Amino acid sequence: MTEQTLQVLIAITVIATLVSVARYFTGTKSYGIYVPIVLSIAYSYTGLRYGLVITSIVILVSTLSNSLLKKIRMHYLSRIAINYCFLSIVLILAIAVINKYGFGLDRISTIDPLALVSIVALSDFLTKQIVQKSFKAVFTTLLGTILIAAIGWFIITRKFVTIFIINNPWLIFVFILINLIMGRYKGLRFNELLRFKSVEQNKADDSSVK
Amino acid sequence: MIAPLSKYKEVLGLNRRNQEYVRPYNPPSAKKLADNKIATKRLLSRNGVGTPDIYKLIKNKEELMFLNWDSLPKSFVVKPNQGTGGNGILVFYGKKKGEQAWIRPNGDIMTKKDIVLHMENILDGRFSMGNKKDIVIIEERVQSDPILKQYSYKGVPDIRIICFKGIPIMAMIRIPTKRSNGTANLHSGAICTGIDIATGITTNSMQMNTKSPLTDIYEDLEMTTDLKENKPLRGIHIPNWDNILEIALKCQKLSGLGYIGVDIALDVNKGPVVFELNARPGLGIQVANRAGLRPRLELVRDLNVKNYKHGIKLAKNLFGGEVEESIEAISGKKVVSLFEKVIIYNKNSATKPKGKRKRRSEEDINTHAFIDTGYQTSRITTTMANRIGYINTTKYFNSLNVPQSFFTMEKAQKYIDENKEKLTSEENLLRVAKIINNGKIMIRPVIQITIKIADEIKDIEVVIEDDINYNVIIGRKDLKGYLIDTSNQF
Repeated sequence: MTEQTLQVLIAITVIATLVSVARYFTGTKSYGIYVPIVLSIAYSYTGLRYGLVITSIVILVSTLSNSLLKKIRMHYLSRIAINYCFLSIVLILAIAVINKYGFGLDRISTIDPLALVSIVALSDFLTKQIVQKSFKAVFTTLLGTILIAAIGWFIITRKFVTIFIINNPWLIFVFILINLIMGRYKGLRFNELLRFKSVEQNKADDSSVK
Repeated sequence: MIAPLSKYKEVLGLNRRNQEYVRPYNPPSAKKLADNKIATKRLLSRNGVGTPDIYKLIKNKEELMFLNWDSLPKSFVVKPNQGTGGNGILVFYGKKKGEQAWIRPNGDIMTKKDIVLHMENILDGRFSMGNKKDIVIIEERVQSDPILKQYSYKGVPDIRIICFKGIPIMAMIRIPTKRSNGTANLHSGAICTGIDIATGITTNSMQMNTKSPLTDIYEDLEMTTDLKENKPLRGIHIPNWDNILEIALKCQKLSGLGYIGVDIALDVNKGPVVFELNARPGLGIQVANRAGLRPRLELVRDLNVKNYKHGIKLAKNLFGGEVEESIEAISGKKVVSLFEKVIIYNKNSATKPKGKRKRRSEEDINTHAFIDTGYQTSRITTTMANRIGYINTTKYFNSLNVPQSFFTMEKAQKYIDENKEKLTSEENLLRVAKIINNGKIMIRPVIQITIKIADEIKDIEVVIEDDINYNVIIGRKDLKGYLIDTSNQF
């Protein structure tokens, strides 16, 4: 097994745990566990800056193409396919433009193509949500996903973290334990503290029906 | 921004709801039923519970192609069978004359082509859980009962009742607004108002701040916001309340869901109709009622309920309280009339030896008090308070220059918290109260006075307030155990 494979597998355990803690403890929603894992690992290949630039392009194009295609009657997968075509065109153009003018992103053309594809796949999940949910719900989940992916990226790109876990493989069991605790956690999530703060406060002493 | 954790011990969160209530008490088969609107409707109507009538079911694109649009009534509702959170629901108010086009609550017009597109989306499973193929329901548009209709911007207000093990636990009403585009969906800006379980009278109201993108933040509300003539949301009597509670319990029994949220609307012709059963009812109801679900749920967890009536009775005794019980419950009590003769004792008269002539400033006052259960705490005017010896108190309070009104309860409470010492440092000033008068939130002083009412002398707390039509008003708090006779007014 190469060291790279080992690193990726370890990254999976870390980010999966991160997602479960984020959901049940802080109340941060994400597109399942798969998307944050793939995004974090993709970011670790592209670098966070490049990763976020590509992610922004993906979000922008998907949102635009969805609102554009909303009015046209067509099958679902054809819609997604068109969305991907738009994405490819825009990304090609964007990379060409960035190559020419730089914008401080000189390495854009050397980005790992597989990492690029992984980020582009975010569009699939995003589209599904845009059709179904309100803007606010889409925005929150998207933000949560990217936030978790960025934190995940930060953790797995710290060399000493990976080395430490490789040298102490029992730590994986600690992750499992954390997930067991999270799985049975019944307390309020952090975002619920904000949501319900008015329940216990500001009770009216008195009121008139008049 | 966040209160100390101990403040939250009564609040039920998503984690606990799922682990302690949804999972153990709602079996998968029952959840499946609640998620399927057609199956729910069939089950309920078979058992005599009213639901909106189905006009047409469309199962696939062929059926959609051959749909006879002329056979549809002018107004109807389009719904996905397995939709979640009110997504994919379209309401049509009327048909455009001579055209294949229908009018939505906000005045938008949708042509047949647009509606077909929407229906195709439903069939493709866009609005259903897990994006599975779905069925389109075309059903009757419920026409709201006039009593509740007057508070709603278009649309139909719907009543949500959470029941647990055969007992109604908490209730709220969701009122459509302009912002919510005539839907009763809280996330799109409908108003949610708590309902006192015992009486079916509305209490506090909130509206979600749709501008804040990160989390569900609610704002206090006292009046409706976008009607021609806005109305106070507090104190609305929900008609047919006991009947509504019974229907909710019946739905629970039929569905097999131990922990359920039942959505009921009041139709002008059919009476209560059930919109939907919820196997994972939301938690915003706690905000609307300013009360947590946890203590209520824990209280009834081990109770055994014999029948619907028993369940309702338990709920009323356990969770009611904002508003007093109905007259039947209290009998053989003293009777007071609407204008009751009372004696209000002067603060200084008690210290004066009996028989000695009193000066005017020490006189007790014979007057009529107005009995009004619309108020909770009793009221007294400044003039009257001054006459019975509280002139220093009223003067002191006036000197504090408390703002005339506050925008929200929260701000009023904040003001009280910040000025606590100042507000209560006068010896006869018992406390201050946040009161709502004509939709205005104010802070007023509270004093304790001695009063003789129906041959009984007692000490009562009164709020000093000038915006009242009588010298003294006796509120609910001091009317426990009295029957009010409305016949002999004068």
